[in-house]
Amino acid sequence: MDNLNKISVVNINKKYNGQIILEDISFDIKSGEFISILGSSGCGKTTLLKILIGIEKSDTGSILKDGEEITNKKPSERGMGLVFQNYALFPNMNVWNNVAYALKAQRLPKEEIKQRVDDVLAIVGLSEFALKKPGKMSGGQQQRVAIARTLALNPDIILFDEPMAALDADIRMSLRKEIKELQKKLNKTMIYVTHDQEEAFSMSDRIIVMNDNHIVQYDTPNNIYKHPQNDFVKKFVVNHLDEKAKAILDSTK
Amino acid sequence: MKNVLKKTKPSLYLQIGLFIILFIFLILPLIVMLFKVNGNDFGFVFKDNNFYKAIGNSLIYTSIGTIISVVLATIAAYFLSRIQVKGKKWLVILLTLPMLIPTISIGLGVRTLFGVGGFLDQMFGLKFDGLGFFDLIIGSVVFSFPVAFLLIYDAFLYEDRSVYDAANTLGIKRLRTFFGITIPYLKTTLISAFFASFTLIFADYGLPMEVAGKVKTLPMYLYEQVLSSFKYGRGAVISLVLLLPAIVAFVFDVLNKDTSDGTAKKENIAPSKAFNITGLVINIFMAVVLFIPSLAFIVISFVKRFPSDMTFTFENYVNAFSPYSTVSIVDFLINSLVISLFAGIFGTIVAYTAAYTSVRTSGKMAKPLHLISIATLAVPGLVLGIGYVFLFADTTGWFAGTITILIVVNIIHYFSSPYLMAKNAFDKINKNYETVADTLGISHVSLFFKVMVPNTIGTLVQMFSYLFINSMITISAVSFLCTYTTQPLAVSITTYEAQAIWEMESVISSLILLINFGAKIGFDYLSKWLEKLNKGKVETKMELTRNQFSFLTYLDDHNKKPLNQRQIADGITLSLGTTNKILNEFIENDVIIVHKNKTIEITEKGYKLLEPYKVRKAIVIAAGFGSRMAPVTLDTPKPLVKVNGVRIIDTLLDALYAKDITNITIIVGYKKEQFKQLLEKYPTIKFIENPIYNESNNISSMYAAKDIIDRCYICEADLVISNPSVITKYQYSSNYLGAHVSETDDWCFFKKGNYIDRVAVGGEDCWHMIGISYWNEKDSMKLREDIVKVFNSRGGKEKYWDNVPLTICKKDFKIEVRECKKKYVTEIDNFSELIIIDPSYKDYKSKTEF
Repeated sequence: MDNLNKISVVNINKKYNGQIILEDISFDIKSGEFISILGSSGCGKTTLLKILIGIEKSDTGSILKDGEEITNKKPSERGMGLVFQNYALFPNMNVWNNVAYALKAQRLPKEEIKQRVDDVLAIVGLSEFALKKPGKMSGGQQQRVAIARTLALNPDIILFDEPMAALDADIRMSLRKEIKELQKKLNKTMIYVTHDQEEAFSMSDRIIVMNDNHIVQYDTPNNIYKHPQNDFVKKFVVNHLDEKAKAILDSTK
Repeated sequence: MKNVLKKTKPSLYLQIGLFIILFIFLILPLIVMLFKVNGNDFGFVFKDNNFYKAIGNSLIYTSIGTIISVVLATIAAYFLSRIQVKGKKWLVILLTLPMLIPTISIGLGVRTLFGVGGFLDQMFGLKFDGLGFFDLIIGSVVFSFPVAFLLIYDAFLYEDRSVYDAANTLGIKRLRTFFGITIPYLKTTLISAFFASFTLIFADYGLPMEVAGKVKTLPMYLYEQVLSSFKYGRGAVISLVLLLPAIVAFVFDVLNKDTSDGTAKKENIAPSKAFNITGLVINIFMAVVLFIPSLAFIVISFVKRFPSDMTFTFENYVNAFSPYSTVSIVDFLINSLVISLFAGIFGTIVAYTAAYTSVRTSGKMAKPLHLISIATLAVPGLVLGIGYVFLFADTTGWFAGTITILIVVNIIHYFSSPYLMAKNAFDKINKNYETVADTLGISHVSLFFKVMVPNTIGTLVQMFSYLFINSMITISAVSFLCTYTTQPLAVSITTYEAQAIWEMESVISSLILLINFGAKIGFDYLSKWLEKLNKGKVETKMELTRNQFSFLTYLDDHNKKPLNQRQIADGITLSLGTTNKILNEFIENDVIIVHKNKTIEITEKGYKLLEPYKVRKAIVIAAGFGSRMAPVTLDTPKPLVKVNGVRIIDTLLDALYAKDITNITIIVGYKKEQFKQLLEKYPTIKFIENPIYNESNNISSMYAAKDIIDRCYICEADLVISNPSVITKYQYSSNYLGAHVSETDDWCFFKKGNYIDRVAVGGEDCWHMIGISYWNEKDSMKLREDIVKVFNSRGGKEKYWDNVPLTICKKDFKIEVRECKKKYVTEIDNFSELIIIDPSYKDYKSKTEF
């Protein structure tokens, strides 16, 4: 059964200066799933993401990917990509070079680099912007460049760290859809950190609800909505959904 | 949080290496100096009356000079930060010009102005002796002013101005806000500026060398002990005293870290004309005064013999540059350029690397490295120079006595500023880049060269510029360390000073000013240009021509429909050639993108170009009682009267909403409460009440709305609009809607060229006036002023508001007629006309008792 799991997180604990950041975190993610990690700021969700991709180390516990232990692997060797909240594009490079930079660093053949960059730019719909510098583009476009940059390395898991926090409401809505469609099209496993209930409920196959450094509930949006595990989930997650989202959830069985 | 990858060793090694370098060249000389001091030296210095006298003199002129300098700098900075004039940048450069020349040159200027036979003597017969406290103070104000000014000006730029708006609305006077808000806000900066000026003046000996005369200052006392009597030990003792104020200043600055958020705040209130002029005059005056000493030595560099023979000549320059003349400065110039160039290059590299490792890596030595980097600020050049003399005494030939030691001492002496420039630049760079690189498998070395360097290139140029300029002017540390063959230009002034060859001193001073001015301007431009180039911000500024405007707005109206040039040309009534030309210009400049399916998309840049022409809002005048429409208006205000089932005003509001103009303000008066019903259909509308609608003409409605006139339509509310396209999203210029008629007895315009020349009631071959006008930004502001002016004038309340821009204040405006067909907009003038259009009113009986 374990071989179905794309990612298994076992017993992660993390303290910083004696303060607990993460406590007994364990969960599995299946291949091709869209998972949100939902929680308010300070609940440890971003630290968890950093541990998953390897920018930070946990004190205890292990991470398995496709059944293989990756706890001590370098971030670039985990086959994961990370999309940041503030895009972190390189302002001096145009869109094409932003995406190509990592491929060039791997010394791939020129032809292959061109092929891959052109492909991912087409996927995110930015082919026409290849020669633009990021500073001249809108926030939504910049975030799509960041996604393309991650896709170019062809990771099988993509992590998002609140990628829409800096965007306007209407752009968020459309980018939400785009990411979701991208996931279906490419069949990638995606892990999406957010504090926005709507976002988590509208995009995810399953949601990891975090509070006070541990997981309070891990289930489908529908089950979380209908059977909130405890008062926290009820108060801070379910009650915060807007009427439209509730109506949609109510109509599903 | 601990970062796995940042644990990598290289950054730590780099930090340790840099720390050791700075330790050897900054701290070690000071330590050695301390150990070389013996009891005899202490005894001599502290028993010497001249020592105490020198301290006294120094304290007196330094304190007075500092206070004057900070006060003047505050005034200049206050005005310059608030006035709105073009070319502020140049004023800043002029006000900081003294930073480009050696203090000894400023001394030269002061002395030749005030001295016996000096300019003031020659021109006005004013006799000073040009030596002593007065001149010390004048000179020290000149060279310390720029430092204080830059600190304070910077603080003003980052000041949050909204508090002044608050004060303003509370009716607090400007002078009171200056002492109640401005000065307390500036407190820390003022103290910093005070310390900076103080230490600068206190440790300077270039100026006293020229103008002190019998007033011995502490640096001069030190200079005499060391360079005349070769008592280095005594020099070390005096150095300790010189260090004191700098250390106090340093500790103060470290304890008071900058807390501003680093974004310049926009001016909220436009300053009045009087304030603008006052501020401009004050700043120009100060810039001129600061320039006078420089002017003095520039003039002298062109005269035969100052002051006895003031004939104009190039001879001084010819001599200076002829390699065989006895006063040739070519070697010194080469020395200076070599020193400045290498100090610039290596200083920039070291400071940049130090800043990089201390900001962007987490090596454990980051903090000590940071502290030692800024500690260079606290050590005066004189002290550093003496320390080097002690420490490197045994390296003569291969270090001491070479150009290299001069380069090194300059780098250390001026290290903190370029370091802080680089640190600020790195602080501003996205914190996630290293993490991005880690997840993408990009090495930090590659990231450094491909991302960090390109994105801080402007700062790199500025750092180099700073080191170059200061190495050109410094004499403090280098004068103890240079030999005759390694002597830089600025130090050679002291040689000519000893021989009192003022013309040559002037030539050198002018030359340094010229070189540094060129360097400053050149590097500023280079830095800005490189920065823009990197961020892709170099673009030709485009302002739309009317044709381009029509083209773009046409595209906007036909968004996502396939179009060919012919259609566009017809749509905007331009020739095919012109249309093609605009099309190509737009494609080249990324204003539009033509897709394969022939649809044309306006890019974000294109919309940015349109932005200034976007209509921001609409003001609808609906206050009046439509008397000619009685009896129906007895019950309902005219705009709300239904014509064939639709409220008249709805035709206008629908047209506005269709173009996304939802910021709508309706001026109401007669039966104002009835207008509330509009909110149901148009939730964004706002109301302003005209309380005197029934005792004045419609100017009172505009008066009520005067504060919101800005890039807006002003519309009458009783127009039935049958073609909503008369309302557009963008407008190129201020205009009235008009329909050409051969004859009319209604309000009409006559044009002269493109603009409305006069307005009349009735005429032939003219333009029928339709009560929908647009006002661009400039005209909106004028309209506000003129409406108030006319309203408050005698009989002003009886005017039609349209007469204000069209007749009474005509000279202020250029208003066009925007053409439309007469049938697009109908005005129902009276009740009988209403019955013709909507026969259901035939049997209308008012419910209101009249």
